[in-house]
Amino acid sequence: MAIQTPDRVVPDTVAILADTTAPRRPRRRRSISWGAYLGLAPLAIMLGVFCYYPAASGIFHSFWNWNPGGESTFTGLENYATMMSDQLWWESFKNLGIIFLFGVVSWVIPLAAAELLISLRSERAQFVYRTLLIVPMAFPGVVTALIWSFLYQPNDGVINTFLKSIGLDALAQNWLGDPHLALISLLFIGFPFIAGLPFLMFYSTLQNVPKEIFEACSLDGVNRMQRLFLIDLPLMGRQVQLLLVLVIIETLQYGFVAYILTSGGPDNATTVPVLHMLSEAFNGGNWGYAAALSTTLFVLTVVFSTIVAVAKRRDSTTNVKGM
Amino acid sequence: MSAATIEAPSRQPRTRVKRRRSGAPIHVALIAIVAVGLLPYLFVLTTSVKTNEQFATSYWAPSFPLHFENYATAWNQIAPFMLVSVVVAAISIVGIVALSLLSGYVFARFQFPGRRFFFTLVIALLMVPSIASLIPLFVMMRDLGLLNTLWVLIVPRIAGGAVLGTILMKTFIEGIPQELFDAARVDGAGAGRLFRSIMLPLSLPVVGTVSLLTVIGVWNDFFWPLLTVTDNALKPVSVGLLFFRGQAGTDYGAMFAGYMIASLPLLLLFLFLSKYFLAGIQGGLPGSH
Repeated sequence: MAIQTPDRVVPDTVAILADTTAPRRPRRRRSISWGAYLGLAPLAIMLGVFCYYPAASGIFHSFWNWNPGGESTFTGLENYATMMSDQLWWESFKNLGIIFLFGVVSWVIPLAAAELLISLRSERAQFVYRTLLIVPMAFPGVVTALIWSFLYQPNDGVINTFLKSIGLDALAQNWLGDPHLALISLLFIGFPFIAGLPFLMFYSTLQNVPKEIFEACSLDGVNRMQRLFLIDLPLMGRQVQLLLVLVIIETLQYGFVAYILTSGGPDNATTVPVLHMLSEAFNGGNWGYAAALSTTLFVLTVVFSTIVAVAKRRDSTTNVKGM
Repeated sequence: MSAATIEAPSRQPRTRVKRRRSGAPIHVALIAIVAVGLLPYLFVLTTSVKTNEQFATSYWAPSFPLHFENYATAWNQIAPFMLVSVVVAAISIVGIVALSLLSGYVFARFQFPGRRFFFTLVIALLMVPSIASLIPLFVMMRDLGLLNTLWVLIVPRIAGGAVLGTILMKTFIEGIPQELFDAARVDGAGAGRLFRSIMLPLSLPVVGTVSLLTVIGVWNDFFWPLLTVTDNALKPVSVGLLFFRGQAGTDYGAMFAGYMIASLPLLLLFLFLSKYFLAGIQGGLPGSH
């Protein structure tokens, strides 16, 4: 709240200063400040050494049989050829596809929650519910993953204990140990999926819809479902597009939850590209191959990020800025 | 007059519809969703003050007396990890804020050849996912002999944080009226004084957002510390918790108390700075959405 003060101070100051400073402006424009380069030097060094060099080195070494600390040999596209025939790599992308599809389908719940929330008339109640709905976002991801790994535990876990306590012993499962269930169990982490960006975006879009539109709807006898499909969803079109691409980028980086709960197992049922890449490098010592995998992930991410950038440039009315 | 007569009948059904809609069902549905979302955390919270016997006899319900000593036990084990995270976050924040304030100021207020080009180079880094440069960065850190030091956690974070920091700072500083700077210059302020007396105080919201993002980042970073730090004394809380879980074994009370302690800093930030917290998660400044 105190932060607001500068904004309010500035206009007054501007008004007072406006005419005295006007003639001085051109002078600033003319001079080229060589000190500017000096000022940018620290940033340039940091970004050059710790961002640009590693990225370039990764791409460069993806064409090598990379032996960090030893002799590396140039192998051309061999790593990429290996990748194309790497069964596990394609398997891991199949899992990513499932994770992505599930993520998109699960937006139904945040969408429903946002619709319910916007229907409340009291601003105060809206605020309280919104806050409670997104509290799980405040927990560190590792803690959430660890808590869910306990929920899924076969013996003392919450889910199996609950099933047994209502007499459904037959439904109790080894959730993370069964190759058929492990991936779907991972996907349900964070259920009901409200504490996240989709909910925030849906909610803020609905909040920005002029009240008159909703009022006109209720006057014309448009019911809730019709309004959702005729008004709300079309208004969210742009947001949904942006979300889709953001989710693709996020999905490409998916990994730490799987690492904590299943380490990619059982039987590689939950392996994802990130885990495969790490295990090639750190367990297999195939650094060049891991660099090729990481370059592939990198290129995919850049492609999708470019789509976001283009989409954002085309439409400046999007609510979420600075993505 | 005629408008009022037209409006009068229409307002009546509208309010009736609204009153019917904003009734109990919505509250029931919302409460149910909130409950489902928070139950895992509430379960962990109630279990964190139980002994193993209490846990075995009353699995669901809270059980008295409350055993707060679980928190003491957990704290003894978690504290070193928390300290590492706090130190890493603090040094990173200082580094990121210094770098991005300076660079943002230069990009926003100085004219020089290549300004657009350099700024594009900074923006382009937003597209490089940290996971993609993880392997080459690891090799580089190994070659530099920085594995198993605090610096391996701090330095890449400063470089990564300075990217978004510089962009946010530049945008923000461009919004500060040039007249303020000119007026100060008329009054005899040099570049350093301008920086200290105008820039720094005005850019506090950005400093706050950048700091908050850094803390969230440190608390959530997983693969990098997992791979670069094997010395238990240098593990930050995200990775330390895994080790802690292994040690706590089946002492669920202490284990869950540890999870709660580890979450507390972010929960407090969320409670007191929720505006910045949400803005940060959405990648911008408060008020930008």
